Amino acid sequence: MISWLRHQKHALTAALNRLLTQPVSTFLTALAMGVAISLPSGLYLGLVNLSQVAGELPAQPEISVFLDTRISDAHKQAIGARLKQSDIAAAHFVPKDEALAALSASQDLADIAAGLTQNPLPDAWVVRPHGTSRAELARVADELGKLPGVAETHLDSLWAERLQAMLAIGRAGVWLLAGLFAIALVAISGNAIRAQVLARRDEILVSRLIGATDRYIRRPFLYLGALQGLFGGLAAVGVLAVAGAYLRVPVAHLADLYGSSFHLIAPTGIEIASVLGLTAGFGWIGAWISVTRALQQVEATH
Amino acid sequence: MISLSQVTKRFPGGHEALSGVSLSVEQGELVFLTGHSGAGKSTLLKLIAAIERPTSGVVSVNGQNVGRLSRMAVPYLRRNIGLVFQDHKLLFDRNVIENVVLPLDIAGIDRRESLKRARAVIDKVGLLSREKANPVSLSGGEQQRVCIARALVSRPALLLADEPTGNLDAGYAADIMSMFRDFHQVGTTLLIATHDERAISALGGRTLHLNHGKIVEAAA
Repeated sequence: MISWLRHQKHALTAALNRLLTQPVSTFLTALAMGVAISLPSGLYLGLVNLSQVAGELPAQPEISVFLDTRISDAHKQAIGARLKQSDIAAAHFVPKDEALAALSASQDLADIAAGLTQNPLPDAWVVRPHGTSRAELARVADELGKLPGVAETHLDSLWAERLQAMLAIGRAGVWLLAGLFAIALVAISGNAIRAQVLARRDEILVSRLIGATDRYIRRPFLYLGALQGLFGGLAAVGVLAVAGAYLRVPVAHLADLYGSSFHLIAPTGIEIASVLGLTAGFGWIGAWISVTRALQQVEATH
Repeated sequence: MISLSQVTKRFPGGHEALSGVSLSVEQGELVFLTGHSGAGKSTLLKLIAAIERPTSGVVSVNGQNVGRLSRMAVPYLRRNIGLVFQDHKLLFDRNVIENVVLPLDIAGIDRRESLKRARAVIDKVGLLSREKANPVSLSGGEQQRVCIARALVSRPALLLADEPTGNLDAGYAADIMSMFRDFHQVGTTLLIATHDERAISALGGRTLHLNHGKIVEAAA
């Protein structure tokens, strides 16, 4: 156990030394990895930010039921009774005065509201059905629309739902890209390690002759791959930090134009840690594939 | 300690380096292997260290059938054998003491302890003042002594030397050979392939003569 730890420490310091004695090639490899990884992680961050925008909107689908302005009290009561049935989760009555007050409170529309001589808004119900499937929503909206005294029904959720669907495509895209770039990462790491193995051919052959196991020979290269991947991950974080700093001002400007307090969300510590962990892991895998193949070749040419 | 029975080694292409060789070496013995170049001396040493595998016959070291050893077990066999090469096989990217300490690193021995042992054995081969030097800056004889130090640092019971004085002039060669005699006197088993007749007569010990892959045993 102690000798195992000693081997790990020895291999780790050897790997670090090799990286630090070749700073330029270490830096370039890290940069290549960093740029590759920054694409899927940047897309992921973009989606997190878009989801935040979407998250401010009502996630639950709602049906607005606008009443006829000349509705009779009997119809009003009938509608109220219908909304107490079991397929309705919640229903909230918005009288026209309240709607106008809300309109006046909204900063951009206050001017319009102030210019009105009489209230043109109808009374309305905001209804949240139990079922959230498209068919169920359409059925409820259709049924409510046919009640006497209802002028119009409006399904609010449709565009939010479309946005959600687009975000889902985006998320699938992130995983697709992440998978592709993970392969690229393995290839970059494998290539860098292969060069290292061939450069250390003599050391490998001599170590073999004096009793080194395959694991002993492989270990420093695996650490090398993992460290190289880790540096690549750090480079990606750096690329994203630069991109974020560059985008902050224009995004704030756009949000300002929409009267929103939206600002860019930075990645969380856990997200950064998982990117670093994954890049180190894929660097390790690339190194393993490469060193195993290269060792077979070294053996064959001996 | 070492026994070969009816060992044949044929290389791809049909060249037969050893044909039906049988021999045995006892613990603590000093044995010279002689013969013209290409007689199979190196091949015989390589079979004992499992660097090559016999085409037929049995090579055994300490009762282990070396020819049948699994790939995983070979490193542990080699840790008990010190190897001295004609071309030294030193690593020129590190200094003398780092070269000598390598077998102990591989065995996972504590760094401070292994440096101490490396220094002791470098002292024994008379190079303590050069321990920080790069092997490139050493003479051929000094490089050979570093190679011997590396072979001995893990205190193997068996030392195999392939033409250890092949590239050295007479003075250096006598130095190296007297070093081998010292190791023999402390109980190490030595098998030395050489055609340095003077060394053989100076040290004594048994001589095995190889001729075209066959053993012709000669008197000591």
